[in-house]
Amino acid sequence: MDIRGLLLVNSESIGEIDQSPVAALAGTLDVAGKSPLLRIMERLQQYGVSSISAVVETGSSVTARNCGLPSDIARIAAAPDRFWRTAESVFNDMAQRGAELVVLVRLNSYAETDFEKLIQFHLDHQGRVTQMSHGEQRLEIFCISASRRNDAASLFRTQLTRCRTECPLLEHEGYFNPLADARDLRQFAIDILTRQTQTCPAGEEAKPGVWVAPGALIEKGARLLAPAYIGSFARVRSGAVITRCSSIEQHAVVDCGTVIENSTVLPFSYVGAGLDLAHSVAGMGRIVNLHRDVSVEVTDPKLIASMPAKSGKRLITSAAEIVTYLPRLAWQGMFAGAEAQPADLHDTLRQSSPALGNAAGYETPACDTETSHKFPNMVVARRYGHQ
Amino acid sequence: MDINSRPVVVKRMPERVNARTAREFLRDVRPFLAADRPQLVFDLSQVAQIDAAGVEMLLRCMSEAHKRDGDVKLASLSDQAAVVLELTRTERLFEIYETSTEAARSFSGFLPNAMRQQLLHNKRSAQPAAA
Repeated sequence: MDIRGLLLVNSESIGEIDQSPVAALAGTLDVAGKSPLLRIMERLQQYGVSSISAVVETGSSVTARNCGLPSDIARIAAAPDRFWRTAESVFNDMAQRGAELVVLVRLNSYAETDFEKLIQFHLDHQGRVTQMSHGEQRLEIFCISASRRNDAASLFRTQLTRCRTECPLLEHEGYFNPLADARDLRQFAIDILTRQTQTCPAGEEAKPGVWVAPGALIEKGARLLAPAYIGSFARVRSGAVITRCSSIEQHAVVDCGTVIENSTVLPFSYVGAGLDLAHSVAGMGRIVNLHRDVSVEVTDPKLIASMPAKSGKRLITSAAEIVTYLPRLAWQGMFAGAEAQPADLHDTLRQSSPALGNAAGYETPACDTETSHKFPNMVVARRYGHQ
Repeated sequence: MDINSRPVVVKRMPERVNARTAREFLRDVRPFLAADRPQLVFDLSQVAQIDAAGVEMLLRCMSEAHKRDGDVKLASLSDQAAVVLELTRTERLFEIYETSTEAARSFSGFLPNAMRQQLLHNKRSAQPAAA
């Protein structure tokens, strides 16, 4: 039987676009190494749906980032005003090329669907269109008989809200995440890392509960506490602590001494030195704090910054930094006052966050220094995670 | 309770606290910081954006105040300010109050938070009875 897959990716479908672009991109952002889009695609392939096309809206924030689609997936770009028309014509093309069934998934949530069960249910009920549901909620996952073009057309023309005929509903029983906002994205990362989903983190399990993708660089002195995920070409610098289901996505950088606790650092993001990032999703110049339920724009690149997604641009940026490094040092050497280096661990722990610079000599203690003075051989450091 | 007759200066911080506005703000509050045992309250209710320079300025004020045996307290933190202070590990260095009035009052007497909650609870439970 010729079964094909059709994925629809547009900005309307990926949650409500609120003040945070994180919410708008939830379906295409990497979570533990792969985007929900890619995970759905792989799931379709696991169920034998090998011919998959993705209709992706152009000119929106969705396509501003690379969705990371593999080369064997046909990607069709569509302008926002012609999105549904394009989707309909792709469906018609599939029907003309001999498809018997089309599994249609609009990316507005992540559901671990049993596609075999869906197809069997569709065939058993001899329906034209079968839809999945999760409790009261109708999911935008359909199985459509390719010969029923009018039913499909009515579905596309109403943006998947209505069908010409009554659709039988199949109750979804597996894992489901609505991916409506940053909180759902964070929950998805936690669920993947705690193995509550069938899908796994992309990478090797370096030690129990800690997954590291190829190319990731973890500097000496950095501490990873399970469960944690470090994406490909991500860099965790010395003294950083990654703990409590934190996920550092591809090409992200966590600078020295920063503690990432129960947070997600989005791809191509930089988190400054000596910071405490907890219960948050950080990246794209924003922090979405889930405890306070607030999205904060951070314009200071010393705290949170975005790095270019293209490798060429990253190379130029790095080269510029290297070129300006020596003149900057020379300038500082000539005109700035000498900065005393900490003599020992006590002094190091008494230092303020490097992201803040030298704030009038005020030292933010990183440890209980009173106790350290009483007992010179003992250092009481802050406790993180399972330490 | 210690009766404190020294003035408490309450200063509202600007909406965007960057290097420039932080410098201006510091210039404004410097005369108060130069006083003997300065007592300042910074109201951060309007702060929508604060960067590392802003946090540095807060620490500088605190440092200056401590040198003269005074203190700087923060009040009415906006969510944005609270997130950045937490991120930079500086929120634990300041006494933070819900309102400027509470912060100003705190200079004249210490009322532990647990006691304050208890008093508030007693007050609330007494109100319906009085009604």
